[in-house]
Amino acid sequence: MTSSGMLTKFESKSSRAKGIAFHPKRPWILVSLHSSTIQLWDYRMGTLIDRFEEHDGPVRGIDFHNTQPLFVSGGDDYKIKVWSYQTRRCLFTLNGHLDYVRTVFFHHELPWILSASDDQTIRIWNWQNRSLICTMTGHNHYAMCAQFHPKDDLVVSASLDQSVRVWDISGLRKKHSAPTSTMSFENQIDRANANQTDMFGNTDAVVKFVLEGHDRGVNWVAFHPTMPLIVSAGDDRLVKLWRMSETKAWEVDTCRGHFQNASGCLFHPHQDLILSVGEDKTIRVWDLNKRNSVQSFKRENDRFWVIAAHPEINLFAAGHDNGVMVFKLERERPASTVYQNNLFYITKEKHVKSYDFQKNVESPTLLSLKKFGSPWIPPRTLSYNPAERSILVTSAADGGSYELVNLPRDGSGAIEPTDSRRGTGNSAIFVARNRFAILNTSSQTIDIKDLSNNVTRSFKPPIGTTDIYFGGTGNLLILTPTAIHLYDIQQKKSTAEFAVNGVKYVVWSNDGLYAALLSKHNVTIVSKSLEQMCTLHETIRIKSATWDDTGVLLYSTLNHVKYTLLNGDNGIVRTLDQTVYLVKVKGRNVYCLDRSAKAKILTIDPTEYRFKMSLVRRNYEEMLHIIRTSSLVGQSIIAYLQKKGYPEIALQFVQDPTTRIELAIECGNLDVALEMAKQLDKPKLWSRLSTEALAHGNHQIVEMCYQKLKQFDKLSFLYLVTGDHNKLSRMAKIAEHRGDFTARFQNALYLGEVEDRIQMFKEIDLYPLAYMTAKANGLEEECQTMLEATGLTEEELSMPTIGQPLKPPKAVIPTHKANWPTKATSQSVFEKALLGQMEGLSIEDEPVAANGFADDDVDGGAKDVMMAEGGDDDDAAGWDMGDDIVPEIESSFVNVDSTEAGGPASSEADMWARNSPLAVDHVAGGSFESSMQLLNRQVGAVNFAPLKPRFLEVYQASKTYLPASSGLPPLVNYVRRTIDETDVRKVLPVIPRDLEYLATNDLQRGYDAMKGNKLEEGLRIFRGILHAVLINAVGSDSEVDEAKKLISSASEYAVAMSIELERRKLGSNEAMLKDPKLLKQSLELSAYFTIPKIQVPHRQLALFAAMNWAMKAKNYSSALSFANRILANGQSNKISEAARKYKPQLERNPSDAIEIEFDQFAEFEICAASHTPIYSGTSFEQCTFDGAKYHSKYKGTLCTVCEVCEVGKSGSGLKLFA
Amino acid sequence: MDPYSAEGELINIHSAFHQGQYQEVVNFDTSALSSENAIPARVLKLRAQIALGQARNVFDEVKGESEPELQAVAAYAQLSLGKTDDAVSAIEKLTAENSDNATVQVLGGIVLQAAGKSDEALNLLGMHQGSLDAVALIVQIHLQLNRSDLALKEVSAARRWAQDSLLVNLAESWVGLRVGGDKYQQAFYVFEELAQAPSTSTVFSLVSQAVSELHLGRTEEATAALEQAVQKDPEYSEAIANMIVLSVITGKDPEEYVATLKKVKPNHAFLSDLEEKSVLFDKAATKYHPKITA
Repeated sequence: MTSSGMLTKFESKSSRAKGIAFHPKRPWILVSLHSSTIQLWDYRMGTLIDRFEEHDGPVRGIDFHNTQPLFVSGGDDYKIKVWSYQTRRCLFTLNGHLDYVRTVFFHHELPWILSASDDQTIRIWNWQNRSLICTMTGHNHYAMCAQFHPKDDLVVSASLDQSVRVWDISGLRKKHSAPTSTMSFENQIDRANANQTDMFGNTDAVVKFVLEGHDRGVNWVAFHPTMPLIVSAGDDRLVKLWRMSETKAWEVDTCRGHFQNASGCLFHPHQDLILSVGEDKTIRVWDLNKRNSVQSFKRENDRFWVIAAHPEINLFAAGHDNGVMVFKLERERPASTVYQNNLFYITKEKHVKSYDFQKNVESPTLLSLKKFGSPWIPPRTLSYNPAERSILVTSAADGGSYELVNLPRDGSGAIEPTDSRRGTGNSAIFVARNRFAILNTSSQTIDIKDLSNNVTRSFKPPIGTTDIYFGGTGNLLILTPTAIHLYDIQQKKSTAEFAVNGVKYVVWSNDGLYAALLSKHNVTIVSKSLEQMCTLHETIRIKSATWDDTGVLLYSTLNHVKYTLLNGDNGIVRTLDQTVYLVKVKGRNVYCLDRSAKAKILTIDPTEYRFKMSLVRRNYEEMLHIIRTSSLVGQSIIAYLQKKGYPEIALQFVQDPTTRIELAIECGNLDVALEMAKQLDKPKLWSRLSTEALAHGNHQIVEMCYQKLKQFDKLSFLYLVTGDHNKLSRMAKIAEHRGDFTARFQNALYLGEVEDRIQMFKEIDLYPLAYMTAKANGLEEECQTMLEATGLTEEELSMPTIGQPLKPPKAVIPTHKANWPTKATSQSVFEKALLGQMEGLSIEDEPVAANGFADDDVDGGAKDVMMAEGGDDDDAAGWDMGDDIVPEIESSFVNVDSTEAGGPASSEADMWARNSPLAVDHVAGGSFESSMQLLNRQVGAVNFAPLKPRFLEVYQASKTYLPASSGLPPLVNYVRRTIDETDVRKVLPVIPRDLEYLATNDLQRGYDAMKGNKLEEGLRIFRGILHAVLINAVGSDSEVDEAKKLISSASEYAVAMSIELERRKLGSNEAMLKDPKLLKQSLELSAYFTIPKIQVPHRQLALFAAMNWAMKAKNYSSALSFANRILANGQSNKISEAARKYKPQLERNPSDAIEIEFDQFAEFEICAASHTPIYSGTSFEQCTFDGAKYHSKYKGTLCTVCEVCEVGKSGSGLKLFA
Repeated sequence: MDPYSAEGELINIHSAFHQGQYQEVVNFDTSALSSENAIPARVLKLRAQIALGQARNVFDEVKGESEPELQAVAAYAQLSLGKTDDAVSAIEKLTAENSDNATVQVLGGIVLQAAGKSDEALNLLGMHQGSLDAVALIVQIHLQLNRSDLALKEVSAARRWAQDSLLVNLAESWVGLRVGGDKYQQAFYVFEELAQAPSTSTVFSLVSQAVSELHLGRTEEATAALEQAVQKDPEYSEAIANMIVLSVITGKDPEEYVATLKKVKPNHAFLSDLEEKSVLFDKAATKYHPKITA
């Protein structure tokens, strides 16, 4: 048997390797060498990670701890060393063995190390307290190997004394397990005694079985991971299998084959196989059940010394004379093929299954291929013929074989194929519905066969063909080590060739236009005619690949899923924790087969490659969609866009002005560039912008840049070429101011101003030049003056010939008036689409738009304006985009010396009016007109004069004066009530005398005035409260209610007080008593004074006054009613005492001397204007603001209470809280 | 080396000037200064004199001088004397030839701005070569034009090259009082530091501190600071103006202070503004009438 199935994954070159250990998790292997070195390799990357050299002489035993970052080694220096691979040093040394240490192993859970030594002992050490805890004696020759049982408290050892021993170490475990707290005293005694008995020998570890059968020394021994089996290898060249029960152990069988000493052996961790190595330079694989040889691998020169298995994955390592090889016994890539929405694959049990990508379900077994090939060699490839629903399977067994079978229509269990056709061949693929191709590598022939397995055509492929793939209809892709060929089956010739090394797999794109060629470390994408699209290199092995529907190739390496576009842009999609074979991508799902041939779904985020793909295809809708829906913003994508030449798109992602300007200049978006340049204001940027703008012919921006850069010469020239004579003159003036003669001369030349030039020459004493200039321009008079001045005559001068006077050309077209016409749009579709999205962000000119609205304010309703601002913001903004930028630029162009674009902005006070629908905020902002308008609409305010103090009060409180630079007026700042707010669109002004203040101060003062009978003052105070509340703002809805209460309360007081004041105006009591008409009126008013809903103590005052007055006028009935009401209010003080006192007298005589219009039993309110009753049921009018009631005839008059609003004028109601 | 920088000779006099310690500036001993700093120091002294209300004396002193710096001072003095037009024409003449002179720029900027020629002022000041005075003025002008965005930019630019300078701190605080929010507190810290250190406490810094407190809504503290300022100088118009504002905010009657302000500075912005608004109110109010007048 050949080594066909064995796959070497890693090989190292070194001196003789005596010990090997796999790391349980990482792709690491420790190798101990005969040269005293211990090597730590990454077998996946093939790199030497570390070397540990502290042993003296050969190191034979080595083991990783399965959880801690530790390993242990034992050597011919009798030492056992425990190392940390993290700190990369030896932690401590265990001394005790008296001869070579052969093997060392960690216990899988206890802190123990097991060692076997040539001193014939096997020892157990505790590596935590670094002590020897057990010495097992019994072997009477070198102990060559000793291993813990993976689960039980057993040890197995092998010795040159030809025996294998099994030891029971349960006693040792008992002794060293932690004592429990519930342990009784007796137990503790027992425990102590048990320790004492130790002195006689090995009660901790007792020999359980002695296995004799080898007739030479035994080199290695191992437990089976799950079954009660032991395998041993000895110098008798035999590998023996032993079985044990609770009570006995016996030899099962012998594997014969090694023809030199067998040095190592082990059980396959997952499969029923035994592996052994020997000095005959072979690795042999045995069937555990049949004990026959399954596979063998021979090395030419190197004797094998040791073999180790990875505990988890299908990997082995064998040490030999010149290093180590890591290998696996078989390919783990499940044979599979995808047809439309189905995946067909072969499981480890050699069952053919299918997987439906749409339903995400696995089919039952369709077919069993148990009998196909060798039992230990899995099928290699699978090809599917949908027309016939048949499959073509190849296997490496027997030098390559294939089988063609039909799949049953419905899977119903493990069915043996009934009708199959077989043959020899290394590769087999369907090339048409009724044809398949077979490659025979040894004979180098390709046969095309029909479905009855008859050869229809045969030809010789290019030399060295290793594999064949489908190559499109009528074509084969033929792989050789150095090239691939597109082979036309009909013409029997290669139609295209592409040189590429070591291609192992070919994956066609879903549309059949492209093929991905996978080699160990390279992916090459070619078109269907073998033109290379791109190629990329991976340092880690490439395992598989599959195409996205959009033409993105996803491929997997050992630990990543990556993507590549046709243009070679690639990136990582996700990481893998185990190797998988990709078969299909659908949306966010990647379907794959793992090494146990199970279909799995991995979720990925395809955003990145989809974005890049749509960029390549200029599919802007898709890009837009991705931008909108994903969070794909980052430096990398921006850098990518810029690198790929899409600065205009990258521009949309960037906020940072520096990057923005770079991108804007790159994509010629001058508007954005200008905006950013203004923001950053750096000479370098201006100069870049000027160059770019010049190229565009946008001389207005160029002009601005030159202004910023103070490049006067360039400016002058620009004005010259654009024909801007006016500005050129200004430049001349500026040059004069600057005292820059060169510039002045230049400008004069440009302007054709001869006099100025002459003048200048004269100024700098260059008379000859001045004279020449004058002469050349025919200014004889000037020449004469100069001659006279210098005292020379014309004859004394020698003049060159003077041609025509220089005349600067006149601009034919006033270019300066407008920019060079540029192509209408530099915006891509994408940009346009995106602008629609992003306009909200890029609005800076909102104030301008708002200004327009503010003007409307005067005419239209301010409230509506607020609404419009809120609602139509976006529309208005969309509009500004185009129109606002241009005028702004122009305005600054006019001013040559302008350093900053844009004039003054609106002050914060102006913002207040815009930010708020409250009258008070308009007042504070000084926008009296709009606030009046608001009040007029809200509460029907028509007479503002009484509000003037309040208006000015609020206005005065709005600004502070901060002294700044000496000599300039102080800086005005605007006092806010929104102290924490910095957004100028939200700030609001401070309000003096807010609601709380009014309630605690003014209201109390009003009450005091009432109590103190200072009614005029009280009336003033309450009116003041009304005015203050009218121009106010509150912070919440509940405060609005409070404000309303305050208003009505103040209103009632104002009415009450004005009634009493009116009564007092009638005259003195004496006078009234004399005039019955006055008296009647007076009595009525005093009665009405008791009606308004004022505070009870104050009402008592009113009632008391009314009672007294009524008594004086002998209106006892009325007086009685007042007395009753006083008593009903139930307060005990002077007033109620008086009432109580008078009441009996009044009751005796319940009649009124004067009939007054006051029905104590009727419900009525007092008209605030006429101070007469409004009985319930009669119609009345009200003041919208303070709620004072009026007879209907007063509609349209001024409210007497607040003196501001019109009675009966409807309004939306006072707004105090936005 | 910048003579105003921390190591420069003029740092003390310059700082004193900008902290409003004008008398200290005037009294400053400049005899030990190197010759190239003599003129700037003299300019500062003269400006301080003007700030102390001695514009007439200053004008007489520098009237005939030929140095552009002193000519600028003369123009500035004229401005302070109310001859704005003369000042502007003098400055315009001066800047035509000496636009790169720092003193001319600064004083010219003040004169032009005071005359309402903000654009010209900004242009002139924009030519500065690392003059913090110019930066501060630019900031102030921007703020007066309500371009706090530009002011902020100017300050942050200056902060890069003149980190810890008093003027930058001040200018930043000025901007901060416009921006608001956290910036109020930061501005307060700057002003408070000045106002509470005995060596730098002036009406200028006290009023600044009070204003920042007022914006922070701390009316009691603001009152205390302002009262302190008024005590120091009962005729300092900004203290009085802010006192009025504070009184109104706290619901007190400001009449007393208004009367004082009318007396000390009848042309103060507060008064003229109020007058203007009063007229505006009356005008606006005439639009409305009750339907029926009783």
